[in-house]
Amino acid sequence: MNRDVLVKLNYLLVAILLVGASLVIRHAENPERLIQGEWIEKEWRLEKDNATVVEESQMQSELKREILRNVEELHLGIWKFEEDGSLTSASSTQNDAIEWFIKGRGHVLELRREGKTIESFQIQQISKTKLVLHLNFDLQVKGIIEIVLERKEQSDQYAKKI
Amino acid sequence: MLRKYSNHRTQSDNVKLGALTAFSAGMVNVASVTVFFAFTSNITGYYAVLAQEISKGNWYQGAVVLLWVTLFFLGSFLSNFVIIQGKGRWSQYISHAIPVILELLSILFVGIYLEFFYQNSLKETEILVGALLFAMGLQNGLTASISNSVVKTTHLTGLTTDLAILVSMFSKRENRHNKALVDKFHLLLSIMMSYVAGGLFGGVGYLYLQNGVFYLTCAILLIIALYDFYKIGRIRRIFERRKKEVLVQVH
Repeated sequence: MNRDVLVKLNYLLVAILLVGASLVIRHAENPERLIQGEWIEKEWRLEKDNATVVEESQMQSELKREILRNVEELHLGIWKFEEDGSLTSASSTQNDAIEWFIKGRGHVLELRREGKTIESFQIQQISKTKLVLHLNFDLQVKGIIEIVLERKEQSDQYAKKI
Repeated sequence: MLRKYSNHRTQSDNVKLGALTAFSAGMVNVASVTVFFAFTSNITGYYAVLAQEISKGNWYQGAVVLLWVTLFFLGSFLSNFVIIQGKGRWSQYISHAIPVILELLSILFVGIYLEFFYQNSLKETEILVGALLFAMGLQNGLTASISNSVVKTTHLTGLTTDLAILVSMFSKRENRHNKALVDKFHLLLSIMMSYVAGGLFGGVGYLYLQNGVFYLTCAILLIIALYDFYKIGRIRRIFERRKKEVLVQVH
């Protein structure tokens, strides 16, 4: 093919990439919108190399308590992401105490209180029904905690079914 | 630092340009990770992330990464475009200074936006990280272009590889006395150390200066852009003084 045509095709390709990416960003489901609503904690999984099964279960509840010390409102296991950027629990009395932000390419959930970061989670998976968060911790041991949350409506529907 | 091109550049020109631009890139990168949780100078990593996000079916995140990589590409493209199209239209120094000024404006835009308008939304984060990647593309394009690809300030994978190759070359006695190899080693080492120092400065500086880190980066870029302007002026003044002295001696 003629070199002049190839060069023009190069420019066209770059333009397509730019416009295509912008269109997907504009129309695809935005993690910031997807996360809004009520989520119920379904599972806590500890991923650590050198722990036995018994150790893991004992450690899990202690770690959960320690990690969530900063976010006491979420202890009941219900995470309510409000549209105005506040994070509350269904039974919370301290509204607006915690703020949530989605950062990076939409892969980081940052929680702040009074402007200071209290925790940041890696969003491993986010869909209309499921939210999987990873948390790197370095408390008694190094490792990753996986928190699986399910959208409340989804959970309620399942409960009604059974 | 900026006005010379390709083989006309001295080792000192390349070390100064490489060290200062790498320092600013390191600062921007760490400040960006702190504020936005996103790197602004590891394109290799973003190619891997792009593939990962697409394979997981995360189209939105994949598109964001694709947009960032394309903006870096556009920055490098624009940098070299200005340099080659500017030849004959304006001075070489101006052609080389324009990408630095554009980079400065991009980073200044991010600093000002963070200071006065930032609402912490994802859309803003994506645009601001995009602006920083565009700035890094401009910088990498400029340094690689004018130094004949000798100076690459954000390309640490290649730099580490080259350094490792050079260190292994020095296992042979004759190579240790090869000036070209030793010069290259000094250049790469100064770029690497400046990048790390910039990163440290960016991380610690952010604790005290907050968004001021971006303004500080702009100040470094301003030094890079105006250094030759000062030097040309100084040479001109020395030349005129000598010319006067010669005229006085003749009369």
